[in-house]
Amino acid sequence: MITEFKSDRFIALLSQILKANIPHDAYIWLNNDKNVRADAFDTAFASMPRKTGRRNLTLSADQLNDLRVLRNGLSLNNWTADRLGRVQLLMRFCLANDKDSLKIIESLFATAEMNEQIALYSAIPLLPIPKYWVKRCIEGIRSNLDPVLEAIMYGNPYPAENLDESSWNQMVLKAFFTSKRVDLIYGLKNRANPELVRMLIDYAQERRAAGREIPHGLHELIESFTDPKN
Amino acid sequence: MCCNHTLENNKSTDQKPDESFELNLITGMSFFDPHVHMTSRTTDDYQAMADAGIVALIEPSFWLGQPRTGVDSFKDYFSSLVGWERFRSSQFGIKHYCTIGLNSREANNEALAEQVMEVLPLFMYKDGVVGIGEIGFDDQTPLEEKYYRLQLELAKEANLPVQIHTPHRDKKRGTQRSMDIAIEHGIDPTMVIVDHNNEETVKDVLNKGFWAAFTIYPFTKMGNQRMVEITKQFGPERIMINSAADWGISDPLAVPKTAALMKQQGISVDDIRLVTYQNAITAFAQSGQIDESDFTSGIDQSIKFEGNSILRGGQQPRINKSSIIIR
Repeated sequence: MITEFKSDRFIALLSQILKANIPHDAYIWLNNDKNVRADAFDTAFASMPRKTGRRNLTLSADQLNDLRVLRNGLSLNNWTADRLGRVQLLMRFCLANDKDSLKIIESLFATAEMNEQIALYSAIPLLPIPKYWVKRCIEGIRSNLDPVLEAIMYGNPYPAENLDESSWNQMVLKAFFTSKRVDLIYGLKNRANPELVRMLIDYAQERRAAGREIPHGLHELIESFTDPKN
Repeated sequence: MCCNHTLENNKSTDQKPDESFELNLITGMSFFDPHVHMTSRTTDDYQAMADAGIVALIEPSFWLGQPRTGVDSFKDYFSSLVGWERFRSSQFGIKHYCTIGLNSREANNEALAEQVMEVLPLFMYKDGVVGIGEIGFDDQTPLEEKYYRLQLELAKEANLPVQIHTPHRDKKRGTQRSMDIAIEHGIDPTMVIVDHNNEETVKDVLNKGFWAAFTIYPFTKMGNQRMVEITKQFGPERIMINSAADWGISDPLAVPKTAALMKQQGISVDDIRLVTYQNAITAFAQSGQIDESDFTSGIDQSIKFEGNSILRGGQQPRINKSSIIIR
């Protein structure tokens, strides 16, 4: 099952952004069809930063608008060139190969270093058969690597669209627990639920009892969930 | 037994000159420890290393004190070197690199070694992997030689530096053989760092054009007073020092301590910089993976984010170790 999401149009947008943000020879290298063949894909994925560099991306107003239209909830804020290059490569790999491509991508997680993990988790809302990655996403939320957590939590529509209630609630709680910017979680308001409110209230009380600071935004969030006007 | 011995020694220290390590001797200096096994060390060590001026380090792949029984243990170990350990290090503002390889001891388990050889290419090309290592000889068995040679070929193919572990026993001969075999495989000596040298091996290693690394490690390897003498005798060219600190009684501050001792004993700051920082970078940067401008980025990430009191990029908050209160 392929979703409504038009991956070829989206790849075209990512390519356009990459073209403006990486050296010309890196752009030519990246788009070589050889890189989406199974025998070269692993190495192309691993060596991405050596080719693209890791500068932060700059997007034009038009590109930001296209991004919103084509994939609501996805933000490329603070993305580096290698991260986008890897995501584009993963998308092309799926397009060029049959559904075995998902298994091959899954095997990348097992040996991924931090920046590779960031790219992989950034790509899951863009790959075919979104439900395929639910367990992987839940595993990612168990990570101790803060930048990996941020890749899942910030500007990533995957959790809100695919996680069941208990996994979603764990993610939100973990965001507070690990001092994340909870306001950057996509779908926070839409996925509010009584159990989450209870957990957050408990957490606030536990912090108070321990004489520790209440995380920034916790009270506001609880209020917004419980306010009948909302 | 050992403890009594230490106590007796302490009694007689009254007459000795002050041996305390004064950080102010090396204020403002930066250090690079090109061989330290951080997976075996605590966060206290990371903190102390950062405080003493260590800005970057290399963690070579080695054995874990006991043999592994399956390839997945190797895979997870290599993953942790490029993953969790690298991140842990960054939390203290220390840039973490690693070398990937099958160590000589475990090369003796042939069935397992074959499987490990298959997974090495999955890791060799990853970001921050600055060489193949530590590889070479331990007992100097035929199997050790076999996997040493195979890994030299991998390094050649990937154009990565090689970090050679030289054996504790029959060291002179083992070091000699390691170099001869590397040359036989057509590897340029400037791409090879021969580690754990001593007074007996250094001359030959330098004469043949290899990098000579020295491990400052109590009891079994070099002491740092000996290191001062070697540096005085041979000069700073192509010489580097490391701690090889691991799960044994070792010292993750071996590099800054030796720098302080060198300074105390009149070695120039330029020469100290070469053997405690620059030479290691020059050697391992041949991997194309070391950028000195990355060294301070961990610290930059500690800048507060949008007025929030959140520590960015996972930078660890400092705890006051001397306080009786734990908050």
